[in-house]
Amino acid sequence: MGNMMEYIKMAFKNIRANKGRSFLTMLGIIIGISSVIMVMSVGDGTANAMNSEVSDLGTGQIALYCSEDASNAEEWITPEDITAIEEKVKGVEGVTPGDGAAGTTSTGKGEFFLQLNGGTEIMQKAVNYDMKRGTYFTREDVEMGNRVCVITSSDAKRLFGSDDVVGMDIEATINNITNSYRIAGVTQQKENGGFVSYTYEGAPVALDVPYTSFESFGWESDSFYSVTLFADEKADSEEVVKDVVHLLETRHQCAGEEYYQVESFQDMVKELNDVLRIVTTFISCVAAISLIVGGIGVMNIMLVSVTERTREIGIRKSLGAKTSSILMQFLAEAAILTIVGGIIGIIVGLVGAVGACGLMSASMGSTIHPGIKASTILGATLFSCGIGVFFGIYPARKAAKLSPIEALRRN
Amino acid sequence: MKKNEAERDENRLEKLIKVQDMCKIYNPGENEVRALDHVNLEINRGEFVAIIGHSGSGKSTLMNMLGCLDVPTFGSYYLNGKDVSMMKDNQLSEIRNQEIGFIFQGFNLIANLNAMENVELPLIYRGIGRNERQRLAKEALTKVGLEKRIHHKPSEMSGGQQQRVAIARAIAAEPPVILADEPTGNLDSSSTQEIMEILKGLHNAGKSIILITHDNDIANQANRVVRILDGKIVEDYFCGQ
Repeated sequence: MGNMMEYIKMAFKNIRANKGRSFLTMLGIIIGISSVIMVMSVGDGTANAMNSEVSDLGTGQIALYCSEDASNAEEWITPEDITAIEEKVKGVEGVTPGDGAAGTTSTGKGEFFLQLNGGTEIMQKAVNYDMKRGTYFTREDVEMGNRVCVITSSDAKRLFGSDDVVGMDIEATINNITNSYRIAGVTQQKENGGFVSYTYEGAPVALDVPYTSFESFGWESDSFYSVTLFADEKADSEEVVKDVVHLLETRHQCAGEEYYQVESFQDMVKELNDVLRIVTTFISCVAAISLIVGGIGVMNIMLVSVTERTREIGIRKSLGAKTSSILMQFLAEAAILTIVGGIIGIIVGLVGAVGACGLMSASMGSTIHPGIKASTILGATLFSCGIGVFFGIYPARKAAKLSPIEALRRN
Repeated sequence: MKKNEAERDENRLEKLIKVQDMCKIYNPGENEVRALDHVNLEINRGEFVAIIGHSGSGKSTLMNMLGCLDVPTFGSYYLNGKDVSMMKDNQLSEIRNQEIGFIFQGFNLIANLNAMENVELPLIYRGIGRNERQRLAKEALTKVGLEKRIHHKPSEMSGGQQQRVAIARAIAAEPPVILADEPTGNLDSSSTQEIMEILKGLHNAGKSIILITHDNDIANQANRVVRILDGKIVEDYFCGQ
């Protein structure tokens, strides 16, 4: 194997002698490798960004809802249930019902749709916002049914042209009943909040309000289809869920009916991650197919090269090259083509991934760093070497097995 | 008996080339072609032998056999004391590399290598290290008068110069036999004479040279002529020089 260096040198020489053709051959590999790296890095980066945002949201958020079998309002969750859960189940920081109402309001800026999210003060933890001005509404507001609200900075600007609106009133009209809500606080989106709360032009103005305030519109907030639990960070959320469900089943005397379903936020994120992984894998597979096509391109050009260089092979054999020497020379050539193509592909892929993440960050208003993993790069490199050797074997064997007389006779 | 065998072995070792009853048959069966028909030939070290024949006479086949590019159908071939006739491909490659220096009609240089690199090729396959290789290649190119053209590509040289590079390649590894197949076939008369003078010079320096040709004038410049016709040796004579 002392001659390996010589074969590699010969291979480089020959690749350089056919620069244009060698580059075109490599192009297939470059495109294949760079797209695999790009797709995987962007996919990982997106997942990472999503996960970090979710962990910002507070970990112990669990959605509890009634199954369709429990359509009977008897089984729905009441404010008393909520109090009982808060008092009796260990590890529960707070519970908020998921109550909502749609309405309209008009200000000097025009007519707007309103989305009122009714809940308790713990709802503050459900969204990834920081308080910019004022405060969130309080437990007292919930108990008293005060009509106070919290608005996002961007919505405040839509309604009033400014977010300095604490203490101002919003006239909310629901079912032809109009009540005014006093603005208690203004929130601002956290920097990397693009995934969970994405707003668009024409979206309704969202207000967080105490769920008890809906009574002033003439309906009783006495049972809820779903509530959100906030578990302590230290608490085992599965244990908490079990206790809560048990408590509810005891209170509604429906043990074993499985009326109460849970979906923790982590579950949702996990599902989302799974979907993302499937999409990434699928696109990577498509990219990998282009890699195989690139490999066939290498094989093709090596076959042409063997045919063109039959005489050279004859000369080398007559001068004492063994079958293995010729095999190694041509294999080295195929491997170098793919490895060099692979290295260029890695660079192009990484640059592309950074570019794509930059574009996505800019358009979504959140920061995505490409998830570049050493394993991806190593895998891509090994794969391109493998392709080079695999697709090089056939032409190289064809070259090596030529008989020197035959090879010398041909032109 | 044993003594006789030992004598014969010794005898074999003395000869550079010993061909016994060599036959090469293509298409065995009804349409068989006997390219070589019971050829017997012995060549001593230091001889300058011309093998002459028309095309189709079997001289190319004989050259392939002598050059270990092919093996005979029957018969034996001892080259420098080694029985070559039964060897496998890889062993033949090794023999070609170590025992034979080829000079071809079409020069057979590799186009994208320069003169030096072409001369180095057989040395690479012999496994000689870079420095020693370059020293030997330079020495060989100097012997054929091309020391000023070592970095030229074949396309930048005349036919005669290319053939001189090929000769340098053949002698660089100091093989016992130099096998020249129509070395002047593609050259004009002045280049032809140039090449013949180099071959004669190599012979005078003690090299064994086998020259294959169809040209009587060329053949007569050797000191022994073997004429082949229809796969048989029909004439074998020494000519005074």
